Amino acid sequence: MNAATKFGDLHRLQAILLAILVLAAWQGACRLFDISPLILPAPSAIAIRLYGLVASGEIWPHLWATAVEIVCGFVFGVLAGLVIGAVISLIPVVERLVYPYLVALQTLPKVAIAPLFIIWFGYGLTSKVVITALVCFFPILVSVVAGFHSTDRDQLDMMKAFGATKWQTLVRLRVPSALVVIFAGLEIAAVLAVIGAIVGEFVGAQVGLGYLIVALNFSLDVPGVFAVLIVLSTIGLAMHGAMRFAARRYIFWIRRSEAPVLV
Amino acid sequence: MTTPMLRAEGDHADAIRPRSGQPATPLPPLIQIAGLDKRFSSRSGEIVTALSNVNLEIADHEFISVVGPSGCGKTTLLRILAGLEQASTGTVTSGGEAITEPRADAGVVFQQALLLPWITVLDNIMLPAQLKKDTSAATIKRAESLLEFMGLKDFSRKYPFELSGGMQQRVSICRALMRNPKILLMDEPFGALDAMTRESMNMELMRVWSEERKTVIFITHSIPEAVLLGDRVVVMSPRPGRISEIVDVDIARPRNLQTMGTPRFGELCDRIRTIFGASVALL
Repeated sequence: MNAATKFGDLHRLQAILLAILVLAAWQGACRLFDISPLILPAPSAIAIRLYGLVASGEIWPHLWATAVEIVCGFVFGVLAGLVIGAVISLIPVVERLVYPYLVALQTLPKVAIAPLFIIWFGYGLTSKVVITALVCFFPILVSVVAGFHSTDRDQLDMMKAFGATKWQTLVRLRVPSALVVIFAGLEIAAVLAVIGAIVGEFVGAQVGLGYLIVALNFSLDVPGVFAVLIVLSTIGLAMHGAMRFAARRYIFWIRRSEAPVLV
Repeated sequence: MTTPMLRAEGDHADAIRPRSGQPATPLPPLIQIAGLDKRFSSRSGEIVTALSNVNLEIADHEFISVVGPSGCGKTTLLRILAGLEQASTGTVTSGGEAITEPRADAGVVFQQALLLPWITVLDNIMLPAQLKKDTSAATIKRAESLLEFMGLKDFSRKYPFELSGGMQQRVSICRALMRNPKILLMDEPFGALDAMTRESMNMELMRVWSEERKTVIFITHSIPEAVLLGDRVVVMSPRPGRISEIVDVDIARPRNLQTMGTPRFGELCDRIRTIFGASVALL
């Protein structure tokens, strides 16, 4: 255990060292080859711009709007995915009838249908929440269906042999078994939620980090665009980290080495 | 059947066990299998006969080993006894009643321990009782005494993944004993364990059997294991799965690992090997 922690620390140190090296090379290259900040700004310029956005308070309303969209969209998408996924998994008729259509719906690129949602739900918060929820919905739906199918047949026999009812088997075996796959879906959905919100804002918005990127891009403020990208990826990492934390807590019996998804 | 771990009837039970085909007791056998066939239809639609005309009577407190190569239907036989599969033709009764679904009077130990990884060892053992809404103090006490009996007392709050394979299988035996069933059905329970652990588990099982006085049906593909444990060894052969012969093990109990070095033990093992050889030659 101790050795493993030591190795973990060492690996983290190596990863940080690599990041520092890459940033230094980037900075050096920008100076050395005199690259225009309109094409690739130096890391130092991005850092200064990021500080400027935060210190002036300019970023906060945008950050707040996007964060609300992401969290609400994620929550609604996950809830819908869990409920519909459970219904599909537990009622075979529904699975046979509805699942093919849901899969077909999934093949639609969300970016392409985003403009429709703007028309239906307006330029405000609602349309972004709907798009984000839709993007999060499918990974959860698929993971719930796959999760319920993943129940070990021998375990089902074991429950049956000890006289479990269908309901008892569901609660005591099938749901906990499915959780492992569902948490993998949650990790994916957490990252996709950020993409969903930004897609919605790109198509039509008056506030939000996606709107801010479009605006900064328009005024050729490339360091500003990079600065917002850093903020966005921080949100994504935080969402993903939260799911990881929850997974470690609620599916503790799966050791990380056996995790279904390695992001 | 409410007293846990019956110790008293030790020698007495030995006396009522039938020997060499002549039953010493007028009681009807606990389990009766008559004219049992089991057919499966495979994916391509053809009918596969897993068991053909199986006849077997098992007395109360008897330890029956079932040995045979893979594909001889021994697991299917056990699944039918456990109520997990239905006979295609023939009758299978336990205590005079047909086995049509899993019954409370039989506990099953599977090849894998099949513990639920998200609950503790104690909760895993309690599972069969909890499924029947029985969580009285006496039940918890029974679970704890089973754990102690199996040398797992210090592990009751641990999770299955914190235990070795042998310990997990011991938990699974405790779970099967939890509701104090008359019959213990074991499907190659030690097949996945290493040889050393397997031997100690064999000793452990004999201790359980002599203390708890269950009727045991023990599936294995190891001839020495079958002879060491069983009162009788049912030798099965494949395609279609059927009983070739039933061998009486006339070796006195208590048996231990030294028993495996005795000439009689070797003779019985050889005899079973000869039966296998004969059935292979017929194919």
